[in-house]
Amino acid sequence: MIRQPASMRAKVVLGAMAVVLMLAGYTVLSERQHRLNPDDTTIPTWSLLGRGVSRIVEVGRVVPGSEESRSWLARQKTRWLVADASATGYRLFLGLLLGVAGAVVLGLLMGCFEKVEAFFAPPLSLLAKVPPTAILAVFFVLTQTYTQMCVAMVAFGILPTMAQAIYLGVKEVPRELIYKAYTLGASHAEVVWNVILRQVLPKIIDGVRLQIGPAMVFLIAAEWLGGEVGFGCRIRLESRLAHMHTVYPYLALLAGFGFGMDAALRRLQRWLCPWCAGGC
Amino acid sequence: MLRTVKSSMLVALAGAALALSGCGDGDKGGSAPGTGGGGGAADAGAAVPCFSVAWSEYPSWSTFGVAGELKLIDGKKGALGPIEKKWGVDIELKQADYDPCLVMYGSGQCDAVCITNMDVLSPSLSRKSVAVAPTSTSCGADALIVSGDLKDVQSLKGKSVYGLAKTVSEYCFVRNLELLGEKEADYKFTNMDPGAAALAMQQKKEGYEAIVVWNPFVLETLNKRPDARVLFDSARIPGEIVDMLVVAADSLEKPKGREFACAALDAFYAVSARIEDPRTRDETLVALGEKFSHLKVEAMKKVVEQTKFYKTPDEGLALFTGAEMPKVMDKVVDFCVKHDIVKDKPVLGFGDKAAAGAAVLRFDPSFMTAVKDRK
Repeated sequence: MIRQPASMRAKVVLGAMAVVLMLAGYTVLSERQHRLNPDDTTIPTWSLLGRGVSRIVEVGRVVPGSEESRSWLARQKTRWLVADASATGYRLFLGLLLGVAGAVVLGLLMGCFEKVEAFFAPPLSLLAKVPPTAILAVFFVLTQTYTQMCVAMVAFGILPTMAQAIYLGVKEVPRELIYKAYTLGASHAEVVWNVILRQVLPKIIDGVRLQIGPAMVFLIAAEWLGGEVGFGCRIRLESRLAHMHTVYPYLALLAGFGFGMDAALRRLQRWLCPWCAGGC
Repeated sequence: MLRTVKSSMLVALAGAALALSGCGDGDKGGSAPGTGGGGGAADAGAAVPCFSVAWSEYPSWSTFGVAGELKLIDGKKGALGPIEKKWGVDIELKQADYDPCLVMYGSGQCDAVCITNMDVLSPSLSRKSVAVAPTSTSCGADALIVSGDLKDVQSLKGKSVYGLAKTVSEYCFVRNLELLGEKEADYKFTNMDPGAAALAMQQKKEGYEAIVVWNPFVLETLNKRPDARVLFDSARIPGEIVDMLVVAADSLEKPKGREFACAALDAFYAVSARIEDPRTRDETLVALGEKFSHLKVEAMKKVVEQTKFYKTPDEGLALFTGAEMPKVMDKVVDFCVKHDIVKDKPVLGFGDKAAAGAAVLRFDPSFMTAVKDRK
């Protein structure tokens, strides 16, 4: 029957099976490729991937007498993973923070004031369709350093879509609730804070969840273009050399990170907005 | 009427299917007999084996695209141009950006690839390779461009020099520093995509006073920013950055593998001859330049000066059999080991299979000789 409920156990088993199948499929693929060419590095075997992982986490070359040889912290930074994750993480979170903050402010203003909406709606709906990497030149002019450029690409990349989602959410807040608050003597700010924001907060968190993926894509594309460290630049340089055994672990990390962020934001939503348990 | 159209379409379809399955073998790269599965039965029906060449837009490599446009070779599977008929092989042209070409070759998706003598080292460690001919050498096509107020190389100290790391750009930079008696450690080469670096330079972005890029970015940047100038370029290291056609060793072992390499070279030399011939020079250059950043004929003349073609088998032979080539490759390998591009020194060989069969990368002049002898 359609929509027949499945037991928790069945769900877990099926989910795990899908992952196992995927890994098994990869194993078969890499076995086949290695039968064709035992030295293949493009679809590495698990042992080769293991070597790739150790390459990523091992301490890099330390010159005697340098800062790295003296300080423990500096030495950690010679590990690819530490250097790349800190650079990419910083850029991603700062970009997300700026993008979301801008989108919330803009979205609330647009949802509350029709004149603001009339002014911002056309450019936003146009910009929402432009991939930020396509207007690289603009970002170059707008920013000073390379890190700033990456941050700006993430922030501006997610801002239009998020702002649109938020302002449409604000417009969906039932009229009656707003009038009721006003009749009870609420000020404008109180209406925004106590009525509108409560209603759209779950949507904002949903919006962030949906934008994590695009934000990561924008960031990797920006890092692809240069920089000394960062996931994107490492993946580019390594894949050029056909070192897929170091590239795939990086991709797995990205996937794991996205999955973790998604789960964390869902928890945050449940904790911050208990009134919308089970989805709004 | 309708019936005949229908049945002729059926026949055409069947023919196409036959031709396609005939190419199945070349498609799989190194598939051993028996593992190919379904391909086996149809193979007997196909007379002409199919091999693929991955190429990207670059003056001496776009010759393959031009050869396809001129119908000297038919780049599609299952269709033969005159050169393909002459050698009895089917060549499939696969065009992609340079980096995807490297990945394609590394993963066995194509039999031959257009690649530089430096970038081939890493894939050759996992796929035994044979350089069948040089196509051109960079003679100014890779350049260090600085803003006008930087007078000499010393003034670059403490500044970032932007270019794509672990590529010929970095090699060109480091080798030129060596020639000038400078220490590499005193300079800072910062990784950046050449397109992005050229853009930043053209915008006069602060902090971007020196870039190492390749053509068409060199010419574009110099055109758009008159105050910028070339501080040094690959013209000082001619014959060190070599663009080549490389074929996988296992593909050469297949039936007609040698003929495939010869046919590809034949096409290259045919287009090169058209560039040399004053009657066809301009139109061929325009065809070459059309996809290579839409350069006009004047700019393309400059480009082919800076990317010196090995336009005849003799010129290619002179490079591959010359005493300089092993020395150059020593330098390139040293650079690659030092810059973490390859972990161990690959075993290189110079000569045909009998002379250097054990090498992972062999510079084999015998294909150029074969093309020369069968003009």
